Amino acid sequence: MTAALVAREVRKSYDDVTALDGVSIDVDAGEVFGLVGPNGAGKTTLVRALTGTTRVDGEVSVLGRDPEHVEKSKIGLLPQSFSPAARLTPRELLAQYGGLYERARTPEEVLSDVGIEGESAEQWYETLSGGQKRRVCVAIALVNDPEMLFLDEPTTGIDPAGRRALWSLLDGLAAGGTTVFLTSHSMAEVERLADRVGFLSEGRLVAVGSPNDLIEAHGGRSRLVVETESAPDKSRLAAGLDGDGSQPSDDPEISFDVSVADGMLTVEGVGPREIGDVVSALERRGVAFESLTWKQPGLEDVYLELTGSSFDADSAEIADTTANTADIDAGGERR
Amino acid sequence: MSRLGRIRAEFTASWHAFLRRRTAVFFTFFFPAIIVVIFGALVQTQPTGGGLFAEPKGYYIAGYLAVVVLFTPLSRIGSTVARYREGSRFEKLATTPLTRAEWLLAQSLVNVVVIGVAALLLLALSALVTGTSIPTTPATLLIVPFVALGVVLFCGLGAIIGRVADSQDGVIAASNAIALPLLFLSDTFVTPDLLPAWFRPALGLSPLTYVARGVRAVTYPEAATAALPNLLVVAVLAAAFFAAGALAVPRTD
Repeated sequence: MTAALVAREVRKSYDDVTALDGVSIDVDAGEVFGLVGPNGAGKTTLVRALTGTTRVDGEVSVLGRDPEHVEKSKIGLLPQSFSPAARLTPRELLAQYGGLYERARTPEEVLSDVGIEGESAEQWYETLSGGQKRRVCVAIALVNDPEMLFLDEPTTGIDPAGRRALWSLLDGLAAGGTTVFLTSHSMAEVERLADRVGFLSEGRLVAVGSPNDLIEAHGGRSRLVVETESAPDKSRLAAGLDGDGSQPSDDPEISFDVSVADGMLTVEGVGPREIGDVVSALERRGVAFESLTWKQPGLEDVYLELTGSSFDADSAEIADTTANTADIDAGGERR
Repeated sequence: MSRLGRIRAEFTASWHAFLRRRTAVFFTFFFPAIIVVIFGALVQTQPTGGGLFAEPKGYYIAGYLAVVVLFTPLSRIGSTVARYREGSRFEKLATTPLTRAEWLLAQSLVNVVVIGVAALLLLALSALVTGTSIPTTPATLLIVPFVALGVVLFCGLGAIIGRVADSQDGVIAASNAIALPLLFLSDTFVTPDLLPAWFRPALGLSPLTYVARGVRAVTYPEAATAALPNLLVVAVLAAAFFAAGALAVPRTD
């Protein structure tokens, strides 16, 4: 596989603040690479380094050339805070940016791809909703049909339906061989889209790998979180649930790690088929509980494991991790 | 897309964007009107003694034109640069084939058209409101290159201001601080003999001086200078300021 993008020991500082601290990445042609990290981690600085819009120490190569000298028609960029002319229509904006290239897709075609059609395509940009604006910006990045596409938080402000439409669009681009370098606050987004994910924390790339490999290596085990009606007594609850307790004869197969924190009981290593066993064990001990939440390990757990801190992204984005979560009520049914 | 095509695409977008900002359009054309009304109709000229506005009406045509050639491009390009930077548009354009010089040329051409129309309005108002007679000779057409090159010159300076100032507010403050001294110390409304003798050579340091003197040479028969030498200086300065402005257009953070 040919490397479309290579970065070696990339460093960048703004006065006393280190934005990038020796970042090295290889992205293969046709790959979708997702870069995640909290605000201030250095994601946007890295995108700027890779697109030649900021100067850095270290080595950067895009499509085999220095980013400042790469053939411009082959790359597309959506900057994080990009805001085009407010009083042009999406169609006019696409004509403007498309007009800068030797060959460009028609405004209608690109706008259709991002779901901006009909009246929306003829309204001034400033009158569009936040999600529509962001989709127009994505369309501008796509107008030259680039080989290498940089998207800095492309779905920020887009509603779930629009986000899924954009994900489908990116799936199609990836299937067509476009290399995509994507930054995001959303773990669910990169898990859904990226072939490989990089975690950026305080300017350092702390891990790179496929979502599955990262989760397997660093995500820990699936777990059942039990919200009890009264403060849980670990010694009582653990009896027969964890491997250290004396197991009652009626629970011969149950053996889990149990921890108690913040009034919640967490039972580690519980698979979906074992939830019923745990519920039965709790009921036999007369433990009343309000809810059970079963959670598979996800990229957020990987981030926590690798950096020792929780992922401090926008709360709305964190909610995406519920894709990996199933709430189970006291009766054991999925909600 | 060819260089011409890229410039056309950027020009068209900027032109439409300008026309749809009604306040900007109104005040761009209201500005020359108010200048003529204040100086030409209210203050009026007093060609009998010393002091300000002591020259005949025709003398000040060059000053009126200098106002629009100086102020409008300086503030418009400066604030455009600030607006583009705030919207990460330069970051985006840096990854397209559009060069900095092409971008500045497209913006300058928009200003040439806008200020060309404003200049025509100003000349018409001068004739109607103040009764100033403007010569109608072929040489009068030299107003066109003086205005066009003057606009390009101050667009270049505006781009430099936009680069240096860190916000649209900063651009406005810096533009005013530069434009006001230039306006009154460039042989426009204040005649050189009203200034101290030791200061008069400094008038030659202002690019606007050559625009004003050149326009006066073709609009005021009693003008003391010739048009073509001034046009040559304006052309050279326009090229220099344009080149410096193009380099100043930000493409990286």
